[in-house]
Amino acid sequence: MKLFVAVIVLTISTLPVIAQQKTPPAPGPARPLNLPKITEKKLSNGLTVVLAPLPNVPKVSAILTFRAATNATDREAHPGIAQIAAGVANEGTDARTSKQIKEDLRSIGGSLSLGSDADQTTLTATALSEFSTRMFDLMSDVAQHPSFPESELKLAQENTIQQIRAGRANPGFLVNERFQKAVFGNHPYSFVVPDEKSIGALTRADLKSFVTKYYIPNASHLIVVGDIDVDKTFAEIEKAFGSWKSGTIPPDDNPPTPVREKRQIYFVNRPGSIQSAIYVGNVTIPRKHADYFAIRTADTIYGSSFYSRLTRNIRESKGYTYSPFSSSNTQAKTGYIVAGAFVRNEVTGPTLLEIFYELDRMRVLPVTDEELNAAKEFSTGNFSVELASQIGLAGRINTVYTYGLNKNFIEDFRPKIESLTTADIQRAAAKYYDTYRAAIVIVGDWEKVKDQVIPFGEVTMYDAEGNVIKS
Amino acid sequence: MHQPVIKLLVVAMMMTLGISSLRAKPLNVPVVYYKLPNGLKVVISEDHIAPVVSVDVYYNVGFRVEPKGRTGFAHLFEHMMFQGSANVKKFEHAKFVEANGGSLNGHTDFDYTNYYQTLPSNRVEMALWLESDRMRSLDISEENLKNQQNVVSEEVRVNVLNQPYQLFEWIELWKNAFTNWNNSHNGYGELDEINAATIQDVRSFFKTYYAPNNAVLTIVGDVDVAEVRKMVEKHFGAIPSQPMPPAPDLTEPAQTKEKRITQPDKLANLPALATGYHLPPQNSPDFPAIALLVQIMQGDDSSRWYQRLVKDKEITLDVTGGLNYFGNEFDYAGPMIMTTRTTYKPGHTADEVLKEMDAATAEVATKGITEKELADAKIRYRSNFYSQLDGSNGKAHLLSVLALFRDNPGQINSLLTPFEAVTAAQVKAAAAKYLVASNRTVIDRVPEPKSQGDK
Repeated sequence: MKLFVAVIVLTISTLPVIAQQKTPPAPGPARPLNLPKITEKKLSNGLTVVLAPLPNVPKVSAILTFRAATNATDREAHPGIAQIAAGVANEGTDARTSKQIKEDLRSIGGSLSLGSDADQTTLTATALSEFSTRMFDLMSDVAQHPSFPESELKLAQENTIQQIRAGRANPGFLVNERFQKAVFGNHPYSFVVPDEKSIGALTRADLKSFVTKYYIPNASHLIVVGDIDVDKTFAEIEKAFGSWKSGTIPPDDNPPTPVREKRQIYFVNRPGSIQSAIYVGNVTIPRKHADYFAIRTADTIYGSSFYSRLTRNIRESKGYTYSPFSSSNTQAKTGYIVAGAFVRNEVTGPTLLEIFYELDRMRVLPVTDEELNAAKEFSTGNFSVELASQIGLAGRINTVYTYGLNKNFIEDFRPKIESLTTADIQRAAAKYYDTYRAAIVIVGDWEKVKDQVIPFGEVTMYDAEGNVIKS
Repeated sequence: MHQPVIKLLVVAMMMTLGISSLRAKPLNVPVVYYKLPNGLKVVISEDHIAPVVSVDVYYNVGFRVEPKGRTGFAHLFEHMMFQGSANVKKFEHAKFVEANGGSLNGHTDFDYTNYYQTLPSNRVEMALWLESDRMRSLDISEENLKNQQNVVSEEVRVNVLNQPYQLFEWIELWKNAFTNWNNSHNGYGELDEINAATIQDVRSFFKTYYAPNNAVLTIVGDVDVAEVRKMVEKHFGAIPSQPMPPAPDLTEPAQTKEKRITQPDKLANLPALATGYHLPPQNSPDFPAIALLVQIMQGDDSSRWYQRLVKDKEITLDVTGGLNYFGNEFDYAGPMIMTTRTTYKPGHTADEVLKEMDAATAEVATKGITEKELADAKIRYRSNFYSQLDGSNGKAHLLSVLALFRDNPGQINSLLTPFEAVTAAQVKAAAAKYLVASNRTVIDRVPEPKSQGDK
């Protein structure tokens, strides 16, 4: 290998004049996929370790995932405990103060943060690869010995309460919060943020017992991607995490997921709004379900790609919105589809009409071969792009382990997508784009848009705090 | 021809773990750079780590050159570039890229507008054809202009007008910190001016600025340089160049006293404060020290402002911002302010927040920083720099702006050098010289009392 590559500066002096080409060029021959080489190992304490070299930059990214969800067992006694534990775990350990952790991270060009969602708590860290040993040491310290200092807990409680208050001014926050509650009802998946009383009630002892129970190696996996050598890096991980004590794996006690019974409108009144924030959706399938690929591809055609039906309709044809979208989200127990847009008040009703029209069109008529082929190319091509960045690849591998997917998921992705037929897409749409039982969530100015909204269904009204308003 | 080897990085020396030296691995990004006779700058960088390629076109036109009475026009125009050209119908650019396995977008900034797509590398010619077709023959209709005026108006509503704070740390801070309209006006645009744009405005802007001699074409990824050069010549070689208008006047008078503004906010629930300090140009000898100073004051959770405001005094919730509101040290070409935004807690005041910020600044300006703090800031700086190169798109961005603004994309491999040479004394001097009240604009954004109807 050369140490420096000279920069070549050239000027082309003569050029043939070529007429503008009228038709798109054909693709070149397919290029080798260069799929990442993934190695799985296990420590004696039960920690699953997955390593994938990707030396595109001299950095390393790691995700350590615990089965500690916002919605886990302790949710009823302590709503939001997983979220607060994740927020405070890196604010002090038995060996380091909060400030020491932040300074140690700076000295390795690193980051370390924790977050919790419906199924997991992830501890994500990055660093310059030359400092990987110190990064693993920090991760291990935060995972095993978070001390939850009283002063840090108190500050986090105050600040979380204020951040949630700030968020309630934001229509995007409000529409998502109400949507999760509308779709998941009383299921733990409906949780978005805890109320102020629950936040205030959490104690240091609660948090310590929570992490002792859930941050355990035998229910966790560590994904490491970057400029690494598999054997050397594994030895570093063994040294950092080897003495972590295993625990008893807590039972998975989430109840069965709800089924929506009818179409309903959930309206969050925000007087003075100049737009309506609209989400329409329903419950779908767990991540491991066989229909995953079909519903994902239906979603690409419906609204999640740029050249989707929804974008062409309400943006490029009608100009109602900048930001139409749809998304299929699958989680361990179940998932949801959501279609939405933020639109000026005057076109609230017409936008709902078109969102439903396009959903029903997916149910009633097959997509065209051209649409399906484009969606397949879109999915497989973008999958390759995702695998070419450290964070993208680490995130993708993490979903394989969090949801217990087939270990060949990366190799299988392309053939599974390519085998789909237009009948598969219509069958999935007919089943899951259940417009009869859809949840319609709108954040906007009720007085300005009520006449456009009422024809679509029965309305329950809320204020920004989530209280039901009697009309 | 194709060597599936990783060319990007070469370990140059044995590394040790001390903190005193900077252990930078020299970057080794291969760069081929040339110009077509029509003036188009072309950058090609091979990287065979994955079968993907990024194809980016950067035009040397941004918010700052849009005409008076037409705020937001550069961005509206960006939308028009997806509305069709001689051989590509309205919005089909998106169709072709996605149906070929790619993703795409455009972005308008202070000093450039870019169009980019990443797709499987055997589809590179598709992207070149699409970009060349719209560079040569953009096709604009009244109907499509009206459609995109509606779309962009909704974009401004969703991101600005219907949001708490309304991006005041950009739009309001720029309006007040700068005196030259070219720098100070609202680049997202006032709704009435976005909707006043005519088809003639669009045609004339296209002819003036969207010429090959005002653009950079960058190709990064799994391609063969010789093959892709032929494709570039085939599709772009015959696009005629255009006479360039004179460069806009971007000069700013020096600020001599602090500007303080209080604004009511109808939608926000908590107060927030933004500050902007004028910066010297990027070629100033002070600039590398300023970049590290920004890192030290607000670059991460160990930074001095974060530690003081959020952790020690517990009066604010966050500290965000940086040296260039939209980008980095390299992707702008005009007057700039260092931006800081912090949401503060009810019961506290803007004066209190400023007093604490100033106290943290004074420590650096009078006592200076430790050698360890300096060394760590450089490590953080280098790490952030490499993160920009994780994926072909980020690398293409950096190469493009270096070609656009410096005519020297090869500089990517030595870009860190001046920052590595900064001393603690220079950081101290930069704090004393630039982070002073007379050099800043402050906006205090205060929630309006909620009306009765809120219940």
